[in-house]
Amino acid sequence: MSALQLDSLSSSAADSARHRKRVRLPRPGSIVRFFVVLIIAAIIFLPIYVSFVSAFTPNGSFIRQGLFPSLADFTLKNFDTAFNAIPIVQQYLVSIGVVTLQTAAQIVTGALAAYALVFPKWRGRGVAFALVLVTLAIPGEAIVIPNYELVSGIGLRNTILAVAIPFLAAGYPIFLMRQAFAAVPFEIWEAAKLDGSGDIRTLFSIIMPACKPQVTTAIMWSALAAWNGFFWPLLITDTADSRTIQVGISQLAASDAANPAVIFAGAVLVVIPTIILVIVAQRFLVNGLARGALR
Amino acid sequence: MRMGTRIAPTPGRHRFGKNGIGPWLVVPAIALLLIFVIWPLIRTVQLSTYTSDLLGNPTRFVGFDNYIALFSSPDFIRTVFVTIVIALLGMAMATTTAVCAALLLRSRLLGGRVFSIVFSLPFAYSAASASVVFAGLFAPSVGILNVILGYFGVDGPDWLTNPFSAIWAIAIATAWYEFGFAFLVMTAAVRGLAPEVIEAAQLDGAGGLRLAWRVLIPLMRPSILFLTVTQTISGLQTFAQIQVLTKGGPAGSTTTFVYRLYQLAFGNGVPDFGRASVIAIVLVLLVTLITWIQFRLFGREKTS
Repeated sequence: MSALQLDSLSSSAADSARHRKRVRLPRPGSIVRFFVVLIIAAIIFLPIYVSFVSAFTPNGSFIRQGLFPSLADFTLKNFDTAFNAIPIVQQYLVSIGVVTLQTAAQIVTGALAAYALVFPKWRGRGVAFALVLVTLAIPGEAIVIPNYELVSGIGLRNTILAVAIPFLAAGYPIFLMRQAFAAVPFEIWEAAKLDGSGDIRTLFSIIMPACKPQVTTAIMWSALAAWNGFFWPLLITDTADSRTIQVGISQLAASDAANPAVIFAGAVLVVIPTIILVIVAQRFLVNGLARGALR
Repeated sequence: MRMGTRIAPTPGRHRFGKNGIGPWLVVPAIALLLIFVIWPLIRTVQLSTYTSDLLGNPTRFVGFDNYIALFSSPDFIRTVFVTIVIALLGMAMATTTAVCAALLLRSRLLGGRVFSIVFSLPFAYSAASASVVFAGLFAPSVGILNVILGYFGVDGPDWLTNPFSAIWAIAIATAWYEFGFAFLVMTAAVRGLAPEVIEAAQLDGAGGLRLAWRVLIPLMRPSILFLTVTQTISGLQTFAQIQVLTKGGPAGSTTTFVYRLYQLAFGNGVPDFGRASVIAIVLVLLVTLITWIQFRLFGREKTS
């Protein structure tokens, strides 16, 4: 019995010694770990590296000079060609318009709906929420034909409104905000009501500020979905000037005039806003967007 | 005066009952969802049972004829196969790599912060913009990817002109762009692990691979399951990669559901909304089935 105790005592002492050693010295394991991470990172980074370097060097420089083309070859000619091939500035403005309209509408309609689904008690509330959940499971690509009939039928083709209109409300932001609002203590809502605050004012000046992180997540989700949209914007626009930047760049890649360096220049231009977002807000993307998705 | 207005209910508020306008705030969202999601779904079901004229308008009710015609065509069977292969390959590569990357960065590492950002960068790309990058990488005339593979002694295929490698090319582009979100989600999952459990396991002598395989990955199961399901669903809707990289070729070998739908309804030929709608319905049913399985599995996770 005592021997056993002694044994377990000494083994736990050895454990803690090992533990201390682990904290102090870099173990061989962590060196291996570093190189494994480095290799995966190199593979993941490769397409970005190649596209950025190619965009700023003459076409074919990778083939002539290997992985590290010389800095002396730096050129903006590929961007010049890309700008001449498609109206990039105009398409950027269309995309910004679509993102603004779609995000603002999704957040306003979503917040109003989430409020109605959480605070007031009314018949049909469960049915309304079930309907929202059902829309989450319907793939957007599967319902484009009737939407195409409807939106072109009312003569909206080739407008910013046409690109945004099927997405002025979306299930996911409603769902996110409903879950967030439901965690707000009911007493806060009752107190606001007793204070004479109307529903709209209660929502925008009390409930939404109390759920800032989740509302921010919803805004980011909506904005990214709008910015990344491809299938619907491709269908509902057919002039270069009315296309979003995502569609415009893909057309650039498909055109025979563009060589890979010009295609890469386009890929650089389209991705700059979101690359900045990822670099600046990586922590938020993990803690907000990714954690929100897991809940 | 202010007191008076506060006590006496305004006529407007009275009309809406004791709840005020509260419940009515759901109307804009529900109306939009009914018009742009629910009704189009019903209409798609209807269109799938009609033939259409040259403009795509439904003309004659034909019951399940469109379904039978599609299901009995070898092209459609191949489309089903190709779509599922691309979805599963992309999902498997993205999820496996993301789980490894997130676990490798769990504890402190030289340059860990930089690596986290590098691993998150593909999230900046949409399916379309990632495809544009890969269009440059796979470009047949210049073949930058093959030049780079050549440095490592690998003789790369002519990616987009051979049916077998074209599917791999699409899957690689898909996996790369899905990896960004997968890494973010897996990092959130790793951070959500209870430190006490990990410490207890470490005191038991579990370290490195054994700790990851026996303790961490089982604990991350619900998150990994969530990721595999969402990425399979998004893979079943693969379109931009096909549109940019292969246009469904060579010889139809990379034609996915949504690309076939696009060809039938919006391609160069006479629009066939009937058959395109059948594909849409098949897609809805597949996604619903996977979502249902997910709910079943998640339900079990929570009770166990």
